[in-house]
Amino acid sequence: MTRYTRLVAAAVLLMLVAGALIFFYAPEDFLQKEPQRIFYLHVSAAIAAFACFAVVLGASIAYLRTESLRADRLARAAALVGVVLTTVTLVMGMLYAKPIWGKFWTWDARLTSTLVLWIIYAGYLLLRRLAEPGRQAARFAAVVGIFGFVDVPIVYFSVTWWRTQHPGPVIISDALPPQMLFVFLVTMACTLFLAAVMVAIRYQIETLTDEVPSPVVQLVGTQREPEPAR
Amino acid sequence: MIYLVVAYVVAVLILGGFLWLSLGTLRELSARASGQK
Repeated sequence: MTRYTRLVAAAVLLMLVAGALIFFYAPEDFLQKEPQRIFYLHVSAAIAAFACFAVVLGASIAYLRTESLRADRLARAAALVGVVLTTVTLVMGMLYAKPIWGKFWTWDARLTSTLVLWIIYAGYLLLRRLAEPGRQAARFAAVVGIFGFVDVPIVYFSVTWWRTQHPGPVIISDALPPQMLFVFLVTMACTLFLAAVMVAIRYQIETLTDEVPSPVVQLVGTQREPEPAR
Repeated sequence: MIYLVVAYVVAVLILGGFLWLSLGTLRELSARASGQK
């Protein structure tokens, strides 16, 4: 069992604990009933996605300052995990909205800004995929990674800046009873650990992809030009 | 109830699928890297 398999096993175990708390310990909400249990992972996934995009921001700034390949790999890894977690947030949010609002989607500020966030970082990944690998692509992607983060505070504050159908912040306004708050905090901690494990795995994949040429490249005998040593 | 179940099943499929694919890719790349040495 490799180090990464062990980390994944630990993350899965923690998520199972969180799942058990969500389904068997958290009390049923008086108004929203059973669908309210979607809230725990929906919000935790959003916070973990924000954390990933903050890592992209930090790593992109570090890359532009030092041109460190490690920073570039970290940005690539965190962006992909952030997009996956934003997808989970959006899909769970839609399935939460249907029984509560009567529709899967509405173009309010929170939902729209979150969709824009997904598009920005999906675009970042597409840029990394399509551009010729090298210094120029990495620098351009770093700029996108920095400016893309502007949307994160917009998503967060959208419910206070504009009138939205999406509810306002419930955690910082002490709107959750202690049992629900406990389950939420455990779920958030487990989701953050899972996100960290996913970023660590993707970082290792990016490192190996940079170092090991693909079989097709080996076949034609033209290896990708290595980055200049820094 | 159905939306609750579907929401968590979809989340497990997305996160589990991503982890499974990532571990598979990592294993393949590690094997290729060690084969090169």
